[in-house]
Amino acid sequence: MPHLKSDSSTLSTATPEKNRRTFLKTAGAVAAASAFGSFPVIAQNRTLKVGSYGGYFEDSFKKHVYPAFTEATGIAVESVTQPNSTDWLVTMQQAASAGSVPADLSLYARDTMIKASRIGGLLSSIDVAKIPSTENLDPYFLFEGGEGVLGVGAMSWFTSMVINPDEIDAPASWADFWDQEQFESSLGLSRNFNSNLLDIVAATFFDGAKTFDTEDGIVALVEKAAELKPNVTLWWSGESQMEQGMKNGDVIGGMYYHDVASLMAADGFPIKSVFPKEGNPQGYGSWCLSSLSEKSAEAMEFIAFSSEPSTQALMSRMIGTAPLLEQSKTDLTDDEFASVSGTPAIQPAYEAYLDKETFIKETWDNMLAAG
Amino acid sequence: MTTTVGVESSTTPPPGLAPPQRRLPLANTIFCVVVVSFCIIPFLLVIAISFGEKIEGAAWRWSFDHSNYLRFFVGADWPDTRTTLYIRRLWFSFYYAIIASVLAVATAFPFAYVMSRQSRRSQTLWLVFLLSAVSLSEVFVVMGWDILLSNRSGLPMVFKETGLTDWLKTSGWFEVLREWGLANPRNVRFKPTDFATIVTMSYLVWPYAVILLYPALARIDNSMLEAARTMGAPPLTVLRTVVLPSVRLPVIGTTLILFVFLLGSYVAITVFAHPSRQTLAVSVYDSVRGATMNAPFGAAQAIVLLITAVLVLLIVWMIGRRTEALQ
Repeated sequence: MPHLKSDSSTLSTATPEKNRRTFLKTAGAVAAASAFGSFPVIAQNRTLKVGSYGGYFEDSFKKHVYPAFTEATGIAVESVTQPNSTDWLVTMQQAASAGSVPADLSLYARDTMIKASRIGGLLSSIDVAKIPSTENLDPYFLFEGGEGVLGVGAMSWFTSMVINPDEIDAPASWADFWDQEQFESSLGLSRNFNSNLLDIVAATFFDGAKTFDTEDGIVALVEKAAELKPNVTLWWSGESQMEQGMKNGDVIGGMYYHDVASLMAADGFPIKSVFPKEGNPQGYGSWCLSSLSEKSAEAMEFIAFSSEPSTQALMSRMIGTAPLLEQSKTDLTDDEFASVSGTPAIQPAYEAYLDKETFIKETWDNMLAAG
Repeated sequence: MTTTVGVESSTTPPPGLAPPQRRLPLANTIFCVVVVSFCIIPFLLVIAISFGEKIEGAAWRWSFDHSNYLRFFVGADWPDTRTTLYIRRLWFSFYYAIIASVLAVATAFPFAYVMSRQSRRSQTLWLVFLLSAVSLSEVFVVMGWDILLSNRSGLPMVFKETGLTDWLKTSGWFEVLREWGLANPRNVRFKPTDFATIVTMSYLVWPYAVILLYPALARIDNSMLEAARTMGAPPLTVLRTVVLPSVRLPVIGTTLILFVFLLGSYVAITVFAHPSRQTLAVSVYDSVRGATMNAPFGAAQAIVLLITAVLVLLIVWMIGRRTEALQ
């Protein structure tokens, strides 16, 4: 809120000052790092605060990824719990206006990252030319804001079609979910307007992301989604609701995260992640450096480490996320790759969700609220 | 306001009373600072934010924009289309809070009455037990009811295992339940329903209801009840003519407190209420913390909820005064 141009003069002058100060410190740190780059660095007091989504995800990071990073670089990682992407942006925004932030690197989904770049003043640009390992990543995963690269891809995930294999056979298409004979009051879908159900509808019945270009297109998508309502018993807002729903048998199918579904299946719960012919929506997280962080050099090293094919493979094995580079560049086996990724991938209409957010949200909420 | 007046008057005390008064200004100042910094400033901030302007695709900026209040009544797309979405959510806030608070008081009353007639020792034990029940958070209570109403671990399982589901299917009642949204093709289901929402919300405030009713009920003199009974009044008549009139005000007061408390209920609503029947509290949270980062619209909804709640309380208070005057 208080980073915008029309703010009171005290606030708007405060931010550039902070930026300049941070810039000087950052520049100093980078200069120092490059000057002493060839010497062993005194490692004990180098630390970095890294945010990741709490729960199983963060635990796996703490157990498998951060120790490997510390071993490789000598930089200790202090793990910071993020509830999710959007909530965290609100927290970081408020913290930035208060002058101190809880994390140096945060993990943001693409839409949240674009939003942060549009709000302005929250993220520092990352000099990817100095991080050769980022060349491994598909350029789509290096997000260019106005001031350079603002986010480097960390890992990717799929929102999959999931089913209870004890109750039903895997549908060949998302369109099967519209069949009331089979699915009356049986599905669990996400309640949030931007959680990819509209992207699934667009890929299944319309022209994909292009459908979002017009308001009529959006209304058509929402109306098609409305036809699912008799089949939905759980409109979940928290991930754990869907987890419980699948475990309890309250729902026999729906949309859920591919990685978590695979883990639940491995624990013996009746859940199977399916790639129907239209595919599943792919999302990804990016490492973004807070503009108030004084640990730019450490953050660069972390991003360099995260972009290595070996780290990408480590995350796929230990956390279940999809790598951001081709399978051939990693040492993942076909089975390992298949358990974290799949084809085809539906790319969400990120820009439309932001440019028309009020319209899409209210049209969506009206659809849910009707009858 | 009254506290400010208090400070001013106490700064010019009559000379003889100076020593005991000297401590009062300090207490008053602390009180003022607390009220101003923890109540008035945040409240003014919410009002100021509610006039902020949303920037599509980003967050918002300070402004003096009435469109958030307009949106509440007609929607963002007005005048092209018009929606009563938010008014309906306001209605559901009141709908759940009123029914759940009345239900809690109605069921807690007999319990509190019987409890207040027990021995000292057993009263104390019950109160300790209820106070510990109060410490359960909303999340915990909702989780418990969620399990109790789930397909594989709760009531639907009981229906299935006892053969009740099969009986319903053969008798034709199952189709009726499906039409009412209380069954899927496989079994009965209780989530999401108004039933689950209201039961959980009542359960949540039930210990408060007992604790709030208990002092008034405990004060009723046993000899009055005995006198009524010796004069031949049956127990129900005693309840109607002696007990209820003497606790009329505490009962209304308790209901109102629980009602206000439940207006802000969040977890129970998100878990048990169908999205078509969710409340303004959920909508406020969605606006402020959700992906749109629309704090101004969230603040505007909160203010409308607050104003409506104050109006309802005022109306109840006025009706109360009118009936008292009539008596």
